[in-house]
Amino acid sequence: MIDIPVLVQQAPEGWQTQAEVFYEIFLVFLVIGTLVGTVVIIYTLHHAYKYRDTGEDDDGFDAPQLGELPSTQSDSGKSKKLFLSFGLSAIIVISVVVYSYTLLLYVEEGPSQPEIETEGNMDIKVTGFQFGWEFEYPNGQTSLDTMRVPAGEDQVIRLHVTSDDVWHTFGATELRLKIDSIPGQTAEGWFIAGEAGNSYLIECFELCGAGHSQMDGEIVVMEPDEFDEWYEGDD
Amino acid sequence: MAELPPTSSIKRWLVTTNHKDVGILYVLTATFFLLFGGALALLLRVELWDPLSTVLAGRGMAYNEAVTAHGLIMVFWFLSPFAFGFANYFVPLQIGADDLAFPRLNALSYWMYAFSGVLMGISFFQGGTMTGGWTLYAPLNIPAYTPSIGSTGTVLAIAMFVAAVTASTINFLTTIHHSRAEGMGLMDMPMFTWSILATVWMMLFAFAVYLGALLLLSTDRILGSVYFSATEGGALLWGHLFWFFGHPEVYIVLFPALGVMLEIFQTFSGNRLVGRKWVIIAFVLISVQSFLVWMHHMYLTTINLEIKTLMMATTIGISLPFDLLVFAMIYTLVKGRIRFETPFLFAFGSLLLFIVGGITGVFLGAIVLDYEFRGTYWVVAHFHYVMFGGATALFGGVYYWFPKMTGKMYNELLGKIHFAVFFVGFNIVYFSMFTAWETPRRVFEYNQALVTSHQIGTVGAFILGLSFFIMFYNLGKSYLSGPDAPDNPWQYSRTAEWAISSPPPLENWDGRASYANGHLEFIDEGHDEHAAATDGGHASENEASDYVLGDKHASHASIWPIAVSGSVLVFLLGLSGIAESLSIDSGASLSGISVALEGTAMYPVLTAVGLVALLYTSIKWGLEDFYAPPAQIADRWPFGRIEKNKLGMWFFLASDVLVFGAFISAAVFIRVHAGWHSWTPIPDSIFGLVNTFVLLTSSFTVILALVFSRRGNTKGLVASIGATMLLALTFMGVKAFEWWEKIYVDGVTIGAAPEPYSAIQASVYFVTTGLHAVHVVIGLVVAAFLLVRAYQGYYLDDHRPVEYFGLYWHFVDIVWVFLFPLFYLF
Repeated sequence: MIDIPVLVQQAPEGWQTQAEVFYEIFLVFLVIGTLVGTVVIIYTLHHAYKYRDTGEDDDGFDAPQLGELPSTQSDSGKSKKLFLSFGLSAIIVISVVVYSYTLLLYVEEGPSQPEIETEGNMDIKVTGFQFGWEFEYPNGQTSLDTMRVPAGEDQVIRLHVTSDDVWHTFGATELRLKIDSIPGQTAEGWFIAGEAGNSYLIECFELCGAGHSQMDGEIVVMEPDEFDEWYEGDD
Repeated sequence: MAELPPTSSIKRWLVTTNHKDVGILYVLTATFFLLFGGALALLLRVELWDPLSTVLAGRGMAYNEAVTAHGLIMVFWFLSPFAFGFANYFVPLQIGADDLAFPRLNALSYWMYAFSGVLMGISFFQGGTMTGGWTLYAPLNIPAYTPSIGSTGTVLAIAMFVAAVTASTINFLTTIHHSRAEGMGLMDMPMFTWSILATVWMMLFAFAVYLGALLLLSTDRILGSVYFSATEGGALLWGHLFWFFGHPEVYIVLFPALGVMLEIFQTFSGNRLVGRKWVIIAFVLISVQSFLVWMHHMYLTTINLEIKTLMMATTIGISLPFDLLVFAMIYTLVKGRIRFETPFLFAFGSLLLFIVGGITGVFLGAIVLDYEFRGTYWVVAHFHYVMFGGATALFGGVYYWFPKMTGKMYNELLGKIHFAVFFVGFNIVYFSMFTAWETPRRVFEYNQALVTSHQIGTVGAFILGLSFFIMFYNLGKSYLSGPDAPDNPWQYSRTAEWAISSPPPLENWDGRASYANGHLEFIDEGHDEHAAATDGGHASENEASDYVLGDKHASHASIWPIAVSGSVLVFLLGLSGIAESLSIDSGASLSGISVALEGTAMYPVLTAVGLVALLYTSIKWGLEDFYAPPAQIADRWPFGRIEKNKLGMWFFLASDVLVFGAFISAAVFIRVHAGWHSWTPIPDSIFGLVNTFVLLTSSFTVILALVFSRRGNTKGLVASIGATMLLALTFMGVKAFEWWEKIYVDGVTIGAAPEPYSAIQASVYFVTTGLHAVHVVIGLVVAAFLLVRAYQGYYLDDHRPVEYFGLYWHFVDIVWVFLFPLFYLF
């Protein structure tokens, strides 16, 4: 296990949900990607137009001859430009991905700062099947398609996801939460419950058969008291 | 049958082995599949118009069939064959070769491809085609979840396709490494040929592994093994096997298009490629790296963080050579004299689309973002931009090479209109997928908020689809009544295909092409042959001239490629339904085996007929006097000393090594997941030991056969081949006893086993040793053929068939040396 505590500390305080992590990284990539793409495309279009054939004489133009072998000499000016552009783009790509990586460890492990209570973490087993989701709670309680969780800014819900039959993918878009549901394997994920009254759509993101489109569910965030009532009571 | 009928006769097209004809067949057939796959796409788009209403009847299954078939047909039956149509036509011309190294094998590749497409099409009518997505994830891909016969038919169709492209791979590898004109070193080859070379090297290794995966899936579906239903990592096993192939596959699809782009950028800018040496290095680097990134398709599975990090690093690594390629193309335009004719418009447009697609790929490489993009339309939009956007250059290639292939010039204005409509439609449909990116893949019900995006996308899709008809009309009309095209319609083109007539003659040129003096020349063969021989130059360095039979005319036609392919089609069609048609009970003893027919006898009959036909047509192929001489003078580095057929044999064996590699990796993977030490060997080691000695002895006898052949000793040759066959039969006999004992005494079958074994362990044992046994049986068939021919007095002057059979046989023995400890000792 790579032990890099220093990186975990770099996840800023107050950043608790995967959604927020995702939005920041996505925005950075979008801005840089659009910038780079625009610059490159405009440069290309400009030069394509600038060097269009205007029908002038070929004098002084070292035209390729039919049947010639390619030479090993390159135009050194252009070669320099090539390496400069290549180097620049390499630096940009590597920086941007390394930056995203520093936040990966946070997403992988979930919040582990002391201020987030870990005893109160709720572990829910998620089992995908054709065509729905079964949730099993620590006290053995189960529910189908609707995952009820207690509210809380610090309330971490840990998910252990598997499948009863084929490969599914459990995903809640608004929470930026996604975990593969693979038979014979258990994959881990987490999210923060947040405010009561919210509900988040669950969809299946891996083709799993005729009912793939209909495998919708819901995560419902309840007031802690109401949740306790439901949790202890009958189904 | 060496004489070719004229191009106006149908028979010509059924028997031709000429690379130019085969190239045309590929392009036309691939265009048909473009329409087929495109129609499926339009069906999908119509269904996506309104998430609440139904257009495709039986919604779930019909939609899933369409989405699966669309992916399979576009990736396999359209993109690569379309590119390889041009590769077939132009690679030999560009390197100065008379044809591909193995012309009949080339025709076989085409017919196997075409008929595999037929098999795929038939699958729709066998209870519905496969519905598991083109990625065929496990366990959705096993009969418990996709029970239709058509699903099995699809898997077999893909396997047949893989066999076809493997033959093509061996052909192109041998051709490019063995048949280059004098003076054309590897670094001198044109960029299109380089892109094909990199492609076929990747194909050799990637498709072999995929074939392994497909064979395992086929045994699961037809013979009842339990690889992909096993909870001991079965689903993940498919993920690894498939994506190890799947990632190189996307570059296999892309590279020829990049090669076309590079040719067109040079020709239409009038500049030589900037950073050419680095571009070639980039191609090589990407080819190698493509095998090191596959788990970036599996970030959300249970692989550990260290591996994910490694794969992320290698994925960034592979994006860098692509940056270089893009910039090299852009700088080639600078200070050029660019003509915006149709081929260039498509190549240029392709570059722009590829840049957009490539940038969105970097998003996917960042693991944190990938977690959210997984299974969404972001992925779909990305790969359509890079794959279809990259392939746009192939349409540029169509216009570029159409005058050369047909001798007619297309209409330039219509070409430009086609490009405009295409480019607009393309961006509408695929950019709309980015705006609707949160939609899960392969669904037909989705969030109402995204309806507008999807509807715009549907409109764009129809514009894109209809744009193709502008091209069909243009090219069709020009072919029938357009103006004649000159030999070289393009200013500043450099490569050899423009130095000959449009269309080129059957034999490409008089004499032979040569670059020995630093530029292209055609050297008159008559004076040349003797000079080369006494010169002692290349002719003495390889055995090629031993097999050039003087003035004998090269063959151009054979009926056996289409006949063999037809037999395979019938055989596989039978196999697709055989599991449903027969119920086989092993009973309590061998005498208690019962085979009952359920339903019609069609599938078993087709299987039997196909197998017999395959045997017959293969023998006829072997007996045919087909003469495809190697070039006497050629640049062959680094394979200068290896004879043409031997080189082909080595490439084939390399591919087979990887098929076994996939099987053995699967065995190891499953065993690790089950707990390595929890397995004890199923068979008794004594059988393995005996068989090891038997096989090693047979390797010795096969060497003896070669010695006798070289010495011209028929009796010795016949005896040693016979001894080899006897030993092989002994091997099979011992194995038969070993299997009988397992099945009838211990109750271990391919899909079930009592304690202390498990069902998956039994599957792994029977299937892996079974694949090896199939190789032994095939060896026996070939040996029988050689035995009869040896008895008739052959192989005394030409020992090559005996030598190459020996190579195959040694390979089979070496594989056994790996299987023996894995299954019998530990």
